[in-house]
Amino acid sequence: MSTRLAAALGAMAPLAAVLAGSALAHEGHDHGAAPPPVSKTIAPRGEALSETFELVAVPRDGTLTLFLDRFRTNEPVTGATIDVETPDGPKTATATPEGGYALTAPWMSAPGRHEFVATVTAGGDVDVLTVAVAVPDPSGRAAAAPAEPSPGRAALSRVSEVAQGVRARLGQKDPTLVGAVVVAFLLGMLVTGLARGRRSVPAVALLAIGITLVFGTAAFAHGDEDHGPAVQGAALTEPRPSGSSDLAQRLPDGSVFVPKPTQRLLVLRTTMTEQGRFHRAVELPGRIIPDPNASGVVQSSVGGRLSPPASGLFPRLGTRVRRGEVLATVTPPIQAVDLSDMRQTQGDLDQQISIVERRVDRYRRLALTGAVAQTQLDDALAEFKGLQDRRAALDRIRREPEPLVSPVDGVVAQAAAVAGQMASPGQMVFQIVDPNRLWVEALSFDALTAAQDATARLADGRLLTLAYQGSGLADRNQAIPVQFAVQGDASGLRVGQFVTVLAATDREQAGLALPRAAVVRTGNGQDVVYEHTSAERFEARPVRVEPLDGGRVLVAEGMGPGRRVVTQGAELLDQVR
Amino acid sequence: MIRTSLTLAAGLLAATAADAHETAGRHGGRVADAGDFHVELVTRGETVDVYVSDGTQAPVPVAGFRGTAILVAGGKAARVPLEPADGNRLTGKAPAALGDRPKGAVQLAAPDGATVSGKFN
Repeated sequence: MSTRLAAALGAMAPLAAVLAGSALAHEGHDHGAAPPPVSKTIAPRGEALSETFELVAVPRDGTLTLFLDRFRTNEPVTGATIDVETPDGPKTATATPEGGYALTAPWMSAPGRHEFVATVTAGGDVDVLTVAVAVPDPSGRAAAAPAEPSPGRAALSRVSEVAQGVRARLGQKDPTLVGAVVVAFLLGMLVTGLARGRRSVPAVALLAIGITLVFGTAAFAHGDEDHGPAVQGAALTEPRPSGSSDLAQRLPDGSVFVPKPTQRLLVLRTTMTEQGRFHRAVELPGRIIPDPNASGVVQSSVGGRLSPPASGLFPRLGTRVRRGEVLATVTPPIQAVDLSDMRQTQGDLDQQISIVERRVDRYRRLALTGAVAQTQLDDALAEFKGLQDRRAALDRIRREPEPLVSPVDGVVAQAAAVAGQMASPGQMVFQIVDPNRLWVEALSFDALTAAQDATARLADGRLLTLAYQGSGLADRNQAIPVQFAVQGDASGLRVGQFVTVLAATDREQAGLALPRAAVVRTGNGQDVVYEHTSAERFEARPVRVEPLDGGRVLVAEGMGPGRRVVTQGAELLDQVR
Repeated sequence: MIRTSLTLAAGLLAATAADAHETAGRHGGRVADAGDFHVELVTRGETVDVYVSDGTQAPVPVAGFRGTAILVAGGKAARVPLEPADGNRLTGKAPAALGDRPKGAVQLAAPDGATVSGKFN
């Protein structure tokens, strides 16, 4: 029993040794690590990051060109002072017309690894950045690793590689690994047995480690693992013809390399992702409608012939009109039977007027002598006046048309007036709309409970801020109409235009809000965002997006906070082949 | 026997958890990587001391080294030339007091001409 336990422990020791290797070569402490591999066709370069700045150094033909950008936004920093600590003492780089900074640096031409310190002063920001550039040997020899690893370290890294293999295989339940463990156990048992005989424990333990390492190395050296990343490095940057510039390209690992000058041409901008809680938004189809309190229609109350107002011209489309302004007149037609009726009345009235007029004259004379009472004269006068009024009214009715006035201030949005046209009662002749006061009516399939924030997106990408006004209770096409007022500038909108309304609901969701332009639909239909992984590298990250508002989308999965994501120029980046 | 094996296994397993590198140096300063070296930056008032050690924390004699420290204090970058002093220490004087934990960088030129630099945040 104790033999078996000891054998188990003996087997454990080699395994522990294997695992220990990886821990010693811990990440982020890779002395003399080469800069990330680029491509053979790209000049050697170095980069440095800080919380404020991102600096790229490209030595070429004895000149060191520095590109300085803001870390978070990728905005080029102009007007900065960059002092570079060279072997010949501190030197200041001069700004170039291309937006970079240049410095004659013949010392950078020598092959090997060059490190320098750059002090950046831009406005109130001061930062010290260390940059390492590995210049390959122009003679074609693969540039040696910047630092020759000591034998001990080499062994450790070997062990670490094996340990990584073990971990990968553990995940896959690889039969080879299982076999290796079994054999290690048997070996442990064997050496424990030997130790029982000789009592030389440390030597046996060392033997166990040694055998397992050798065995493990032999077991794992073959196979189809991709050892690519281990051999990538500065060796891949080869010398290239002087004077040529770097080209943006898609690297074999799928990331996109974009040199700084090209980034500036494409105006690539980034933002730092931040986790937040947002109200979920629903997309609703909507239409622009005029504000019911700031628009109106001009209708004729009677049927009649339309004629222009006193100015002689009907207001045309787009004409600005004021409240109370006469836009047209309607002259009601007089039917033949009415006409004869009116003529008859007119004749009657004329006859009565002449009779009463003569009577008034007579009474006026007789009233002076007292033969007629004053009251009789007054009655006659009143009757005369009444008849005259009736006659005048008859004339006016025949002559006077109905004026059509604008009910509100606004712009003529619709005009159906043609001179001489017969308008029927109730027909709309003009529609007046205040172009600064427009609403959006959307159809919602859910009852929106006091939708707080809403935005509308137009077909051309313009955004409108909307304020919730109310929603109906009566179904229309199995949906509820919801009305919003357009806030701010509403110029360029037309009534009836279709918009997409994004209304926030009460449901909250966590995620990262990114501008809509940051998300690119790739050829296979996947939504990706481009992460700015290092100064000149961008990597596509597949994400799941959900609607948030008109200008932003919510990245629900595929991206974490604190990453730099391209918000401007992502489409252009996607085209790099 | 079992106890010995157990101790050996436990020790090796414990090693997996151990960290080979700590940020606080043995002279009370901050340690950063500079090429193959570790540099420890100690600032006291205007004095800047830089201790150089190798990857295993063993002191490296600095005779023949040249160095420069660029440290940001009070919104201005101060350039401090460093001269070898004794053992693995280089020292220099800043024009003004540097305050607590100034950020910046240390650049070292080894006698063979190779330059390395370490960054302190």
